[in-house]
Amino acid sequence: MIAGRGRSKIRPPRRGIHGGEEIDFEQTWKIIASAFNEIHTKNASKLSYEELYRHAYRIVLKKKGEDLYKRVRDFEHDWLTTQVRLRIQDLLSPNLLISSQAIGGTTTNERRFAGEKFMKGLKDAYMDHHVCMGMLADVLMYMDRVYCQDTHRLSIYNSAMILFRDDILNAFSQDGDSISVLELLNHVILEQIRMERDGDVIDKHMIKDCVYMLEGLYEGQMDTAESRLYVASFEGSFLETSRDFYRAESELLLRESDAGAYCRHTRRRIVEEQDRCRSTLAESTTPKIEKVVEDELIKNRIRELIEMESGVRFMIDNDRMEELSLVYELNARVDPKKTELMRAMQKRVVEMGTEVNNAAIAASQAPPPSEGADKGKGPALEKSLNQQTVAAIKWVEDVLQLKDKFDLIWKNAFNSDNALQTALTRSFADFINASSFPRSSEYISLFIDENMKKGIRGKTENEIDMVLEKAIVLLRYVQDKDLFERYYKKHLCRRLLMNKSISNDVEKQMISRMKIELGNNFTMKLEAMFKDMTISEELTSGYKGHVAQLGDADPKRIELAINVLTSMTWPLESMGGSGDEEGKTLKCIFPPAIDRIKRGFEKYYGEKHSGRQLTWLAAMGSADVRAVFPKVPGKEGTQKERRHELNVSTYGMVILLLFNEVSADVSLTFEDIQAQTNIPVSDLVRNLQSLAVAPKTRILVKEPMSKDVKPTDRFSFNAGFMGKFHRIKVGVVSNGNKVESDRERKETEKKNDDSRGFCIEAAVVRIMKQRKELSHQQLVAETLNQLAPQFKPEVTMIKKRIESLIEREYLERIEGAKVDSYRYLA
Amino acid sequence: MALNDEGQTNYVTLVSSDGFEFKILRSAACIAPTIKNMLNPATGWQEARENRCIFKDINGIVLEKICEYLYYNEKYENCKDIPDLDIPPELCLELVMAADYLQGMASRRRLAKELVLSAMQFDRLTRFLNTLDLTC
Repeated sequence: MIAGRGRSKIRPPRRGIHGGEEIDFEQTWKIIASAFNEIHTKNASKLSYEELYRHAYRIVLKKKGEDLYKRVRDFEHDWLTTQVRLRIQDLLSPNLLISSQAIGGTTTNERRFAGEKFMKGLKDAYMDHHVCMGMLADVLMYMDRVYCQDTHRLSIYNSAMILFRDDILNAFSQDGDSISVLELLNHVILEQIRMERDGDVIDKHMIKDCVYMLEGLYEGQMDTAESRLYVASFEGSFLETSRDFYRAESELLLRESDAGAYCRHTRRRIVEEQDRCRSTLAESTTPKIEKVVEDELIKNRIRELIEMESGVRFMIDNDRMEELSLVYELNARVDPKKTELMRAMQKRVVEMGTEVNNAAIAASQAPPPSEGADKGKGPALEKSLNQQTVAAIKWVEDVLQLKDKFDLIWKNAFNSDNALQTALTRSFADFINASSFPRSSEYISLFIDENMKKGIRGKTENEIDMVLEKAIVLLRYVQDKDLFERYYKKHLCRRLLMNKSISNDVEKQMISRMKIELGNNFTMKLEAMFKDMTISEELTSGYKGHVAQLGDADPKRIELAINVLTSMTWPLESMGGSGDEEGKTLKCIFPPAIDRIKRGFEKYYGEKHSGRQLTWLAAMGSADVRAVFPKVPGKEGTQKERRHELNVSTYGMVILLLFNEVSADVSLTFEDIQAQTNIPVSDLVRNLQSLAVAPKTRILVKEPMSKDVKPTDRFSFNAGFMGKFHRIKVGVVSNGNKVESDRERKETEKKNDDSRGFCIEAAVVRIMKQRKELSHQQLVAETLNQLAPQFKPEVTMIKKRIESLIEREYLERIEGAKVDSYRYLA
Repeated sequence: MALNDEGQTNYVTLVSSDGFEFKILRSAACIAPTIKNMLNPATGWQEARENRCIFKDINGIVLEKICEYLYYNEKYENCKDIPDLDIPPELCLELVMAADYLQGMASRRRLAKELVLSAMQFDRLTRFLNTLDLTC
């Protein structure tokens, strides 16, 4: 039962069991006091601990603890005031005192030596006191444990430390002087630190020892961390002087050095202060002094720093990775969001992006290079190097370059910071979608087009991957994805029909990438286009087999390769020539041979799929024509017919076949040709240009010979045509994908707006069907939300569509609702 | 004599008031704070220099038991199911006083428990507690 109880104190018996002999307090104290004297004068080796301990033990046993405690304290007080204080006062050289009142008058060195001497004396005194009191406390252990605990006194060691504080540190340094030793010590340490900041070498250990002393002493009676003399007396003034120092320094630095140097200096200062806390002061000060440096050198200055002439803008422009990384590091220290840096960076991105935009606009609007210079190359040059298209591709490349540049900075200097990446993305999206630059969708699609047609030739798979990835990266920024889809469809359509793309695989890869990025909906139609192409191939071979079965082995039989396109998925309107209104209604008159084949296929197709109507789009086809040119006396005297295989557009073929019907010297006027073929005027002009004007493919002769085709011009077969190759490709002017003219663009935008209208209506109806009733604000918000992945509709447009839906009684206004609200009508 | 890592002897000598000497392991001896202080090399007491502690208030019989206890304590440190230390009842009082002098050893409670147990055998518990002024 007793055994189970908690820690119980076993006290000495009350009655004098201990040998019983009475002890004489005064006598015993004398022994102890003289021993203490020995200890203070470092002669403890002759003393027996057991003896002293036994004496103290006995005194306490005899209930004289109180007296003993008092005697010891008096003894220490006496010792400190008579012996130690004098020694300290001896150290106070005039140099030290002068420097404490006014800096100057003495050299730094003199002051430093005086300071070191003073610190050393103080430190030694403290260390002696510390060691001696340790020994005394050991001897008086029993008193501490029994007497001090019972009466709630401070242990003898602690009370001796308080004595040291009061008798030595808080004493005035000299009689009649108002500065205490402690203040003097603080001042000396601060002086030394100041010297070190200015580049002098100081005795760090000495200061550390003094700091150790200050850390071991407390201000009040309580031993809490905050009341350590170091914190209570020294740290505050240290931080204060540091703040002043760095404030002045930052001003000086901003005035006199560039941003990079400032950053480097700041970082060095921070490291220095950290080191100082570790080696000279106390670790607990590290965060505080760091904060001071950060406040003064960074936080209060970061804006000035970033906006300096040699600030972030300069660093970005000159790829100063190291300095940018410093700025990042410093900014991150004081602001986890890096607001200032982010602001500067975004500003620069938008600036540079706008420059790129403006360059593209300027390039596309600049007058084409002088006509005279490239007259020789003529339309061929015009075709491949359309200025606007070049500008478009250059724009994309510039943007990508910009993106690469900032990505590199982000990775190398900004530590791949997430927030900054978001900001970068936002800024890129900002300038790419800027209202002053509406062409980004088209340009990106053109860039892909260019690469599909030429760019990826001879590249490895990895390189192609990179190109595709780049395109996708840009696509991510584009807000109006529907506009991009429209352009992409148009460009893809041309590539497919004219067999311009280098690799079908790459096309498909691109589409699957877009699928990942933008979702199924986006690529559905694009995929359908590919599907049509495959089906068409099957149809072509099927028809070939069908014709072969008919058995009429006409050697002059014309082979047909056909693409059957679903009208909903293909952007046929944008393919139907150059938008001639009447051109769409007009049907080209094919020569009889061709017409027969056409009808044959229609029949074949009608058998396979009943109820489908085929519309022939001659403007998009091409034909291989074998032509025989009469013998001409050649230079080497060869006298044979020349055979060429001409690859021309369908219209070109129709035109050429006309000349089959007439004798070689007859010429046809433009109007004749037009009347006989019914080809839309603009297409006819372009085809005739390429057949009669382009120098390399001049199969027809035009009269009069000029660059433009006029309705009155006459054309005849060029019997003397000379071609270097057997196969000759007759390109049609403006056949490739290029930037739209302003008129075309308006049209595209109009069409786009129309289809947007449908999208909006569909979205509104979907939402209302689900929610039945909804306020106007909510409806608009939800609609915007739903359409966000496709495009960003204008609110006025949404309003209009809602009006129209109300008119058509899909919705109705809720009468008397507080806010405008609608109800869905099933 | 062999020295340990800190340049101290591995054994120290404890001397009783009647002149018995006990050479015991320093690590065991230093379990008692008072002995530890005595032998603290940093202070340079006579005992520390000579590795010899003379106890003028403890006789040989008691000191022997103390040494036994010191070893017992070291041996069973951090153990479970510790066997009782056999303490002759007639030594109990003196042992308690010595323990107080030596600052109670590392495990004052265990000593107290053992004292009580051995005291119980002799049915002197009540008197004993009175003598000791044990306020449990």
